[in-house]
Amino acid sequence: MSPILTPHEVHERLTAQAAGVTVRVAVDAAGGDNAPDEVVKAALSVANERLRITLVGAAARVRELLGPQPSPFIEVVEATQVIHSDEEPVKAVRSKPDASLVVAARLVGSGGADACVSAGSTGAVLAAGLFHVHRLKGVLRPAICTLMPAVPLPVVLLDVGANAEVRPEHLRQFAIMGQAFATEVIGLPNPLVGLLSIGEEPSKGTPAVIEAHKLLAADPTINFYGNVEGRDIMDRVVDVIVVDGFAGNIALKATEGAAKVIVREIMNAVTGSWRAKIGALIMARDLRRIRAALDPEEYGGAYLLGLNHPVVIAHGNSKARGIANAIRTASRAVTSGLLPTMGARLAEAVGNGGPADEAET
Amino acid sequence: MTREEIFEQVKTILVDTLSVDADKVTIDARFQEDLETDSLDLVELVMTMEEKFGIKITDEEAAEIKTVGDAVDFVEKRISVA
Repeated sequence: MSPILTPHEVHERLTAQAAGVTVRVAVDAAGGDNAPDEVVKAALSVANERLRITLVGAAARVRELLGPQPSPFIEVVEATQVIHSDEEPVKAVRSKPDASLVVAARLVGSGGADACVSAGSTGAVLAAGLFHVHRLKGVLRPAICTLMPAVPLPVVLLDVGANAEVRPEHLRQFAIMGQAFATEVIGLPNPLVGLLSIGEEPSKGTPAVIEAHKLLAADPTINFYGNVEGRDIMDRVVDVIVVDGFAGNIALKATEGAAKVIVREIMNAVTGSWRAKIGALIMARDLRRIRAALDPEEYGGAYLLGLNHPVVIAHGNSKARGIANAIRTASRAVTSGLLPTMGARLAEAVGNGGPADEAET
Repeated sequence: MTREEIFEQVKTILVDTLSVDADKVTIDARFQEDLETDSLDLVELVMTMEEKFGIKITDEEAAEIKTVGDAVDFVEKRISVA
């Protein structure tokens, strides 16, 4: 397997469609700031014989947007309720059984679809995924896994928000899940895993991080680099970074925010004068490459890792392109060896100091 | 359904759905302290119990379920009423 060199290649791998396999993706047509219009547009742009879409939402409106000659590869399922971003996620998922997101998740849980995509509230997608798609056997806590802007390639980061507090064993499982994601979905051979902390020494960090360092270092199935610091994320010292959901979310937003400002300022600088514009023309290819590497929408949202089927959370403000990428990446997760590899590695890990072994000591 | 059968079913849910260590699941085990489940896990447990036993559990009732024994008691009462 050849190593990946550019963000474009990462994008290609993430959105690649497997030959000879038909994937059915249930899409929450009411999720996100631009629903249902952009969601329907996204479905129209990706649906084909091998990638069938079920749009779940206000059926009449969705059909209207699909037009007079709808794609034969798009199905519409009625859902009369909507979960709004200001609702308490768990309560909303439990009290609204006919919400588009809940119906979509249930469809996946019952075998009517292979994966689910929503641009709705992250908390609600997490709750719907847990309650209706259910976690993979042996998974203590599902984690939200994302591709974070880094140079030259994005880095796999988890957890970025599912678990504010974690135990050391959870971090070890995140490492196993993140490693399987990097190998199977992106195609990185033997990815290197780092633990986010406040210093390289194993003694640095919270008690949970210090303990997790020991667990990761002792696990022969994990290609463990050691601790990494915040400044190492964008420099891409490792391929996969594990962290609790609270710090992970801050790290993600801080990096994305910094990347956005830097890209904006570079673009301003290179278009500020005629002389700069000539320089920009010469550098155009490289500039585009940097911008792509740092654009979160390029990679189609975040994965909820550790469930029985892929669930992808698209950015709430996604346009059709972002949602289309999320649908493609969900499809990619179905056809890749992600779930079997993750299941096998988690089972293997029980023999290497996993939950069962931990209980005995 | 006997009390033992209900316990076994609740235990199966905890082990299969929430990946709780089977050896830790006793009738006196407290969900949060002994089984280290969080609030999301408990909602998942309640929803799976509703499905499996064909009962309805309100949020207020769910808040009172703190041990495995509480869960078994609740199901036993609800089933005997139905």
